[in-house]
Amino acid sequence: MATRLQNQDRVPENLRKQLALAVRSIEWSYAIFWSISARQPGVLEWGDGYYNGDIKTRKTVQAIELNADQMGLQRSEQLRELYESLSAGEASPQARRPSASLSPEDLADTEWYYLVCMSFVFNVGQGLPGRTLANGQPIWLCNAHYADSKVFTRSLLAKSASIQTVVCFPFLGGVIELGVTELVMEDPDLIQHVKTSFLEVPYPIASKKTNPSVGSTRNDNDLACTVLDHDVMDAKLIPVVGCEEMNATSPNNSSNGLGLNQPADDSFMVEGMNGGASQVQSWQFMDDEFSNFVHHSMDSSDCISQTLVYPEKVPLGPKAEKASDHCLHDLKERNSTKLTSLGPQGTDLQYQSVLSALLKGSHQLILGPNFQNCHQESNFVSWKRGGFVKCRKQRGGSPQKLLKQILFEVPRMHVDCVLESPEDNSNRNGVWRPEADEIGMNHALSERRRREKLNERFCVLKSMVPSISKDDKVSILDDAIEYLKDLEKRVEELESCREPSDLEAKIKRKIQDTIERTSDNCCNTKISNGKKPLVYKRKASDIDETEPEISYVVSKHGSSDNITVNMNKKDVLIEMKFPWREGVLLEIMDATSRLQLDTHSVQSSTADGILSVTIKSRFKGSTVASAGTIQQALQRIARSC
Amino acid sequence: MENSAQESHLGQENSVTYESPYPLYAMAFSPSQTRNRHQHHRIAVGSFIEEYSNRVDILSFDPDTLSVKPNPTLSFDHPYPPTKLMFHPNPNSLHKSNDVLASSGDYLRLWEVRDSSVEPIQVLNNSKTSEFCAPLTSFDWNDIEPRRIGTSSIDTTCTIWDIEKGVVETQLIAHDKEVYDIAWGEARVFASVSADGSVRIFDLRDKEHSTIIYESPQPDTPLLRLAWNKQDLRYMATILMDSNKVVILDIRSPTMPVAELERHRASVNAIAWAPQSCRHICSAGDDTQALIWELPTVAGPNGIDPMSMYSAGAEINQLQWSAAQPDWISIAFSNKMQLLKAS
Repeated sequence: MATRLQNQDRVPENLRKQLALAVRSIEWSYAIFWSISARQPGVLEWGDGYYNGDIKTRKTVQAIELNADQMGLQRSEQLRELYESLSAGEASPQARRPSASLSPEDLADTEWYYLVCMSFVFNVGQGLPGRTLANGQPIWLCNAHYADSKVFTRSLLAKSASIQTVVCFPFLGGVIELGVTELVMEDPDLIQHVKTSFLEVPYPIASKKTNPSVGSTRNDNDLACTVLDHDVMDAKLIPVVGCEEMNATSPNNSSNGLGLNQPADDSFMVEGMNGGASQVQSWQFMDDEFSNFVHHSMDSSDCISQTLVYPEKVPLGPKAEKASDHCLHDLKERNSTKLTSLGPQGTDLQYQSVLSALLKGSHQLILGPNFQNCHQESNFVSWKRGGFVKCRKQRGGSPQKLLKQILFEVPRMHVDCVLESPEDNSNRNGVWRPEADEIGMNHALSERRRREKLNERFCVLKSMVPSISKDDKVSILDDAIEYLKDLEKRVEELESCREPSDLEAKIKRKIQDTIERTSDNCCNTKISNGKKPLVYKRKASDIDETEPEISYVVSKHGSSDNITVNMNKKDVLIEMKFPWREGVLLEIMDATSRLQLDTHSVQSSTADGILSVTIKSRFKGSTVASAGTIQQALQRIARSC
Repeated sequence: MENSAQESHLGQENSVTYESPYPLYAMAFSPSQTRNRHQHHRIAVGSFIEEYSNRVDILSFDPDTLSVKPNPTLSFDHPYPPTKLMFHPNPNSLHKSNDVLASSGDYLRLWEVRDSSVEPIQVLNNSKTSEFCAPLTSFDWNDIEPRRIGTSSIDTTCTIWDIEKGVVETQLIAHDKEVYDIAWGEARVFASVSADGSVRIFDLRDKEHSTIIYESPQPDTPLLRLAWNKQDLRYMATILMDSNKVVILDIRSPTMPVAELERHRASVNAIAWAPQSCRHICSAGDDTQALIWELPTVAGPNGIDPMSMYSAGAEINQLQWSAAQPDWISIAFSNKMQLLKAS
């Protein structure tokens, strides 16, 4: 590769390209170089990295086409810039940076993972990179997304990014980490391949090796790290040198590895032998249920031992020794304090704290100091994906049953206490109906129908009583009672007069007139809003098939308007002919429904200005008007033509 | 520890259960117990009976002895099930020495809860022309301006009452369809959700306008409940009909929810923000679970897992988080009211 200049001064620049080459050749998602921090000796921090995974939104200002090399490097650079701007706490990262800058929403899951990785630091011996550095051996972690956070602190993040395999190996005094979203089984050859083909190129930095003190800038720091054990690298490939030393330094070592229940914390100081035996350590976790299970070879501690061994194997400056001391000290402290938080809670906490630290979230998660930890008293338990074993499946009932009843049904109950105004009624019917369908509760539906019928009847009653003042049901009933009393009184009066019988007809007429006068459009709307189809294309022969047992035919005006009413118990067949005019059909329908007739079919035709209507209907209630009454009502319509 | 095998019994030992003779829906915590030192915490529960006669019971809760007792003298009839119950959020501002409880249904009603009786104070009816007033689906008491109560109605309106004067301050046609819930943010700002599938914010200083900050993804999927985060007013939460999601909204970024909490295994029925934390919310649903969530600053790409969970014996219909004692959450399922220690 032409860009790989061996005598280039800026090693990180060069390193990134090497990482790029390496990670792209094996088609993994990312490579990170963890280097010893300049500010905190003994701590591994982000040195450099190359991102090779999925990209969500690409932003560019250049018009020129970039090749794959440049694109990849540019992306890695942009991610770094985004991280730096975020961690600097800018309120709006976009504001001060060029438009090509990324913002968090431009990132794919794996990019987000890569970005958050930049915020991590590892004590030597801690975490995957820390342990790798400490024991000088590659670590191959399969199923990283299920790994215990003790083993792999970023497992939650990895899960979200679907990173499945993570490999760390020591390199240039730091650690190279490679990750991929696929499950790749342990393959020492792959590490070797990456190392020899891409990374291990002689650097002209030997001269600096004598000066292990770290510089103030990042670049210098990288250099310094590189120096630390550049030439030890080869030695590291030889399986651990320091086993004997380790035994000496840890006299309590019972060489039985970790007890399963033994807190891993203790092991940092005491245990640590077993890991040394295998050159590449590998863990596969079947399931996060087993996350507390500590694999016998998973000794976080051998890193410590290794760290102790280093000074013997490689003559290092005092600073390096100090670093390892520091590290030990650090770990001791952690034993007593911090590691206790690495339980299932700790994982979340760490994840949260990383995120909020990174993004400088202004909110502190306050629920009182005990909220997180005081779980022995709480009724709530830590959430697990599987949830409660005995958790019932939802029964067949409709979802949100009670909530829906409260919101949909209870208001209905109130509404029924009071009669609504007709316009509202039709409107509300339209609104409510679809919801009722969705609820799908039969009893509710039938209940609703019953209430609708009741309301309808109240409508009718209201239309029959002339002096209705108010809309509510009580008033209607009161007025109806009054009206009935009034009528009764009049009937009595008239009867007492003992006038000829045709007076009764007069009274009847009077009532009919009243109906006509006081009728409002209550029932009219019911038809006009299209709920009931006005015209059924049913053949008249269907009607004729029913042989009327009792046929009562009235025909008065044989000329222009011709009205026939046939009644068979409650079934009514109406045939009429009269001059057509605008809206007359509606009036007919109005009249029939006022007469408590439920219309089943209407057939109408106009010829030479004469409307022929055939209505097949049935009485709704128990009260049955006489054929004469029906005819009278219809005749009034016909006459007004 | 939590990982032990007997999960089904986990957490049950601290819970306090009250079993009512009838199914329960509405529920409210009294705001404080400082005033009535001789009394314990009060919890009001409303029955859900599909008839005219319903009951509201006032229970006493003692967190020290973990006991909850009904007060037979503090039980009163309510016409149809109350759709919501709420105590006066700041009783010290009242000149009355007793708790005041509000209930919604046909009207907004105010009740004075005395030591041994409950007396109706007021029935607030918005209709001038008749006794009829469109039924109320919910209401919210403004805790900054406690003379204000906002009600939501199926007639598409929200009504703001001045309960001290007993008059309507304003009535707004808030939505295109039934309004199902209402929540105050500030003294003059409230939000509502509706069958039209939108969350709208209203400012009483500018009654001409409202801001739609969210619309359900499928048009006209009703939004049933709304909870405004009182600790951080940028956030509110809503639930959809027939959905297992809790939608978290940031009023600064309208239309795009900042998070969707999707770990319930059946529809969600109730939500409540933690009274003393801006990042915690509890939700409960048909999957019998109550989940406490801690919202991350930035949602992870694969969704948010709850922090902790509790499983009740049946579909949880109601959820309240006590403002006076933030470590207590109450839930209602079937005919039980249960108090859970959240921390």
